Amino acid sequence: MADRSGSGAIGGEDDVVALLMRQHGDIRNLFDEVERATGEQRRDAFRRLVRLLAVHETAEEEVVHPVARRSFDGGEGMVEDRLREEKQAKEKLSRLDGMDTGDPGFLPLLMELRTEVMAHARAEERYEFIQLRRHTDPGQLATMAKAVRAAEAVAPTRPHPGVETAAKNIALGPMAATIDRARDTVRKAMGKEG
Amino acid sequence: MPFNPLEQRGIPLDRQMRTWRELDVQPIDPDRCDPYTRCRIITMNGIEIEAVLFSHHMARHCPDQDVRRQLAQTRAVEAQQQKAVNWLLPGVASVLETTIAYEQVAVDLTAWVARMEPDPYLRQAYQFGLLEDFDHLYRYANLYEMIEHRKAEEIVQGLTEIMPGRPTKYHHRDPRDNVRDPYDRSSTDPLSKLHALTIMSAEQQTMNFYLNVGPQYMEPIARQLYQEIGLIEEEHVTHYESLVDPGETWWEQLVNHEYNECYLYYSFMEQEPDPKVKAIWELHLNMELEHLRIACDLMRRNDGREPEEVVAPELPNVLTFEPNKGYVRELLATQIDLTTLGTGYVREAHERFQAMQALLNDGDRPPSERVMEQHRDMFGREYRLETEGEHPEPSLRSHD
Repeated sequence: MADRSGSGAIGGEDDVVALLMRQHGDIRNLFDEVERATGEQRRDAFRRLVRLLAVHETAEEEVVHPVARRSFDGGEGMVEDRLREEKQAKEKLSRLDGMDTGDPGFLPLLMELRTEVMAHARAEERYEFIQLRRHTDPGQLATMAKAVRAAEAVAPTRPHPGVETAAKNIALGPMAATIDRARDTVRKAMGKEG
Repeated sequence: MPFNPLEQRGIPLDRQMRTWRELDVQPIDPDRCDPYTRCRIITMNGIEIEAVLFSHHMARHCPDQDVRRQLAQTRAVEAQQQKAVNWLLPGVASVLETTIAYEQVAVDLTAWVARMEPDPYLRQAYQFGLLEDFDHLYRYANLYEMIEHRKAEEIVQGLTEIMPGRPTKYHHRDPRDNVRDPYDRSSTDPLSKLHALTIMSAEQQTMNFYLNVGPQYMEPIARQLYQEIGLIEEEHVTHYESLVDPGETWWEQLVNHEYNECYLYYSFMEQEPDPKVKAIWELHLNMELEHLRIACDLMRRNDGREPEEVVAPELPNVLTFEPNKGYVRELLATQIDLTTLGTGYVREAHERFQAMQALLNDGDRPPSERVMEQHRDMFGREYRLETEGEHPEPSLRSHD
């Protein structure tokens, strides 16, 4: 869909920043969904959260951070800060990934992760994305958006018809495999070899 | 038990200044707090900012150096109170989330005040403004979903409904029609004075918030919507400030300000479930009692009047944040098509109103309309939160 406002900003299809900000919202929505669901539904929502987080962070690492690093003064250090946050969140995520969603320790750890992920997302929006929009041209933002969208297809935020069951979701692949697949997809979309 | 702030002793002023450590308050969790805790924080921030600004204005008109020094001392404490209160808001909240909370305040605070207001003319003024802020909530909620892919119900938690009010495009009136008649300070109910001050302060802070944060957005529609609603908030400040009797002396106004702060901190302390936040309301109440005593002394010395001649002998019923869905729906069903003419209200779009509309719009549609259209382009529907059934006004029902 083309952006009908002609602004290039809010339609989001050709603006990587608008797209990633909406993914931040999707991630928060999924955290809510996991927290509110129980049993099989929680397991399913959590699988989707893991996939979306894996894909989102991979896309940022592959697409956004490299451009941010070289686009503005201080970009290097700013990206290092974001990567540190991402690394910490990933560790927590893989701990959760190894737990049963019904485990009494699951929800408290999920809440910790949620707080960290939210703070990380706001930091990106305020310190990285703002600079990105300032220092890159619309063509670049659109190319980056294309790559992020390609990665997004690897991780649907809603259950896919026919893959609602946990068994089939697991068949979609564990976190590491999702990250690999997202990385390949992004690199292809960015015109590099995977 | 009735609480009379005139008879209570607070913390001596020379012991009210706080250290950095004491000012470093722990912010609330935006996703786990009681939405009305956030509403109380936003309200008290507006009240403290008004306290500081009022004191500055008073000092600028005051030739007595001793009084100016006294005002400066109290004001420095109020400036700290404002920091302690507003810094309870968390850094992880986005500007739009805070905006939506501001509009929730405008809806449920104004609704409570309208319900409790004894004077029918003043009550009408609150009912009128309420339907406009209610519509702002709806427009911002749609913008929020566009930019952040989140639904505003996660912020208001179903306590406040989100659907059209009086459409924002009709809020742009000839400025002369925003000036109301004031109450009479000698005959009005003391509660009416507190109400006017409270709503004026809240709207003033809303205006200041939008005019400062609006340009932080990069999305053109967001920038434009903040501009439009920011202008309406200025109309609201005009609307509410004109309710206050301009014949009140500076000393009397100071007493009213301090008394109102006691009233609100006491009210919020009574209903606050978050213990850390409650402790702040309690501490600030104990500070305000002393500010009130000082203000009363100043009025005694300079006006020769006793505080009992100006304020109520005991605090009115505590001001409460609670859902007002039924009340709002009743107003939606009966007052959506009102506008102002002179200091009264009419149902038809009169000449001066239409002239202002034509001037501003100049053949275009305002941002508050375009935001809905853009939302529909993205989602194929609009965003509403109608927990109590369809919209009471048939012409404003959803067609999704």
